[in-house]
Amino acid sequence: MSATDPSSADPLRAQPQPLDPAALKRLNDLDPDGRNGLLRRVMSAFDVSLSRMLVQLSAELEDGNAGVVSTVAHTLKSPAMSIGALPLAAACAEVEKRLREGRSGDLRADIQRLLAEGEAALLSVRAMLRE
Amino acid sequence: MSVAHPFADASHPAQPDVLLVDDDEINLLLTALGLRDRGFNIVEASSGEQALELLRNWTPDIIVLDALMPGLDGFDTCRRLRRMHGFENIPVLMLTGLDDDASITRAYEAGATDFFVKTPQWSLLTGRLHYLLRASRTRIELERSKSKLARAQDLARMGSFDWWRGERGNRGGLRMSPEALRVFGFAPQEEVSLRALLRMVPQSDRRAFLRLLHQALKHSSVLATDVSIVLLDGRGRIIHVEAEPEFNEFGNGAGYTGIVQDVTDRRVAEDRIRQLANFDSLTGLPNRRQLIWRAERALEQARRLQHQFALLLIDLDRFKMINDTLGHGAGDELLVEVGRRLRACVRHSDQVTDGALEGSNPRSHRALEAVGRLGGDEFVALLPEVVSEHDAERVAQRVLEALREPIFVSGQECFVTASVGVAIFPRDGNSVVDLLRNSDIAMYSVKAQGKNASAVYSPQLAGRGREKLELETALHKAIEREEIVLHYQPKIDVRAARMVGVEALMRWQRGSTLVAPSEFMPMAEDTGLIVPLSEWALREAARQARLWQEAFGFADSIAVNLPSRLFERSDLVEHIHQCVTAVDVPHRVIRLEITEDNLMKELQNVIPSLHRLNEIGVEISIDDFGTGYSSLAYLTTLPISELKIDRSFVRELGITPQSSAVVTAIIALARSLGLRVVAEGVESLRQLEVLHRLGCVVMQGFLFSRAVPPGELQRWLEQTVLPRKAPWIGAAGDGTREDGELRPAGARPFR
Repeated sequence: MSATDPSSADPLRAQPQPLDPAALKRLNDLDPDGRNGLLRRVMSAFDVSLSRMLVQLSAELEDGNAGVVSTVAHTLKSPAMSIGALPLAAACAEVEKRLREGRSGDLRADIQRLLAEGEAALLSVRAMLRE
Repeated sequence: MSVAHPFADASHPAQPDVLLVDDDEINLLLTALGLRDRGFNIVEASSGEQALELLRNWTPDIIVLDALMPGLDGFDTCRRLRRMHGFENIPVLMLTGLDDDASITRAYEAGATDFFVKTPQWSLLTGRLHYLLRASRTRIELERSKSKLARAQDLARMGSFDWWRGERGNRGGLRMSPEALRVFGFAPQEEVSLRALLRMVPQSDRRAFLRLLHQALKHSSVLATDVSIVLLDGRGRIIHVEAEPEFNEFGNGAGYTGIVQDVTDRRVAEDRIRQLANFDSLTGLPNRRQLIWRAERALEQARRLQHQFALLLIDLDRFKMINDTLGHGAGDELLVEVGRRLRACVRHSDQVTDGALEGSNPRSHRALEAVGRLGGDEFVALLPEVVSEHDAERVAQRVLEALREPIFVSGQECFVTASVGVAIFPRDGNSVVDLLRNSDIAMYSVKAQGKNASAVYSPQLAGRGREKLELETALHKAIEREEIVLHYQPKIDVRAARMVGVEALMRWQRGSTLVAPSEFMPMAEDTGLIVPLSEWALREAARQARLWQEAFGFADSIAVNLPSRLFERSDLVEHIHQCVTAVDVPHRVIRLEITEDNLMKELQNVIPSLHRLNEIGVEISIDDFGTGYSSLAYLTTLPISELKIDRSFVRELGITPQSSAVVTAIIALARSLGLRVVAEGVESLRQLEVLHRLGCVVMQGFLFSRAVPPGELQRWLEQTVLPRKAPWIGAAGDGTREDGELRPAGARPFR
């Protein structure tokens, strides 16, 4: 059950990974003087969305539904790319592609991988939000 | 950061409206921001359902759809909006994942205009959006211009088609635009084969049309022709077909593209113009122009094929009388019926086309055969080939025969006859003009010999005709050459044995011969020369009165004979006024004589003139009285002063009792109306005595003097009247009779 709690993640990996600077620059470019508080809005939204997805994924560890996993991967892929959580985006893309091609393989491992990358990204986002 | 995109142009909306549909909040937020930055106006929707709801009362310029969404995904949303009215052609951009081939195919199948891979690189997306907007605009303009073209074609009853030869791997065949289909009366989507169209061409034209098509195909030449068709509903139309050949990569004719146009209305108008230009509107027969054209073609053919052809000039006898009596309407009716009958006398062809004559058929000139109307009551029959003049004469007889039956016009039976003149090519002329003139001469010879017959031209006839023509020409010049002279015959008061006036009579001194009025007056009447002749006579009479006044104190009147048409001229009074004032004699010096016949025929037109003449002192005398049909009632109201008893009654005096009865009656009438009576044509003393006994004292005739030149009249007065040497002097007993009151008031013996 610890997997559902981000705070109980592997302490070695508890150090937040930096988000992709190019992606952050693109976001900054959209709101150069920060007047719209864009970065914060995007990060908050991603925080909410990602937290919800991670709960959904954990639920699939038991009797894994490939469809649900694929949808979550698809949903996370694009915003992860946008905020610069590139490892999560890459994991999402890989999992989504494989599931769509019908090669379900080890669904549980996929879920675990997504959960791990998701929680890492969550740490980074929250770190950003604290700044 | 807002930079005008290179794709943007002036006609593009400044801020295109974009509906952005994405279930992912972050993506929606970022894409919206990215696009707003680049000049787009963004409306966001987070689901397909919400997007469709928004579109119910708003139309963006473009829609951007995320492909995968929970609920109604991008594909279903696209499919649904395509079914909505007004969104059939709106540009829809589907956003898919980079590696999602299946979605790309699905996107097109759902009706998306294009797909794009999700990217955070907004400038790429912006470029794609501008491209789609421009393509959409171009498409809209194209649609608009297509519909404009369709509308224009529709208005012009025109449509396009193409036709391709069947080749390897290509079925070929005919394709027609909806407008072209409509030209042929088909529904817009109907499948119509070339064969079916050809079946609409009437059988009679089909072979020629097919030949034309084959010729064009064979030479890959431009096709431009008009063809008659019969629509499936039975209406006839004329279709203009214009097509250009198309070639394949080997330069061989592969097919045709072109237009078809319904030109029926134009052709009807053209035909109408041709009809008006070439056909007589009253009878529908070829008119002069068309006849001459046909005659010229006939002449060419006759010359080439060495045969004879004939022109028959048909002139109705006494048509003018029918027109005058029954009115022009009846006259027209009569001409129509005559035209109809004449048509039946020949193998009449209404239409001749140039093409028909060019054929190799040696009998093609037969199509020229026709009856036409030259004008008035003149018709022409053109016989393009005759073996001899007998052929032409047979037709002439047929014509006369055809008119023998009475014609009903205005509820009356009319008998009309004709005079027919025949001229044969080449014997009677080498040109159409010559042939027409000679048929005219032949026709006139028939008229001269009593009408209702035919005659073939001969040079002798021409001689006679030429004489007449010469006479006419000479008469024209007679006045300026001073060949016309007036002779004068005295009017005598037999009781007083003195002259009380003269009648001026016109003579034509032509070289050494004196032409009698009976020979040139009818021609003068016919040609209208009578008007200048009469005007001259009035001037001359006034001048003579002045000369006589100076020579021997002449103070009576000179009577000038005028035809009624001169009385109808409004300037007659003014003319007489000028004539007398020019030579300074009083108006009463001129007296006008009009025959009873003439007067009664034109009574209503003449009366105003008579009154005006009377007012200025010009007296009116009725000539040849007793022969016409005078209404006595009119006589009492007319401003006249003299009746002249016709010479025919005078001649019979003492021979038939009726004549003395008529003369007595005329004298009684004149007395009751207070008119002077003059007896004309008095040739014997016996006539003088009888007339005098009956109460007539003023006379005119050979007994006293014939009409003589002015100098001779003066001599006659001086040598015969004054010395009282003439045998008739004294015969009337010097006014001793009891009817002395007939002596004209104010009359005085001459000198």
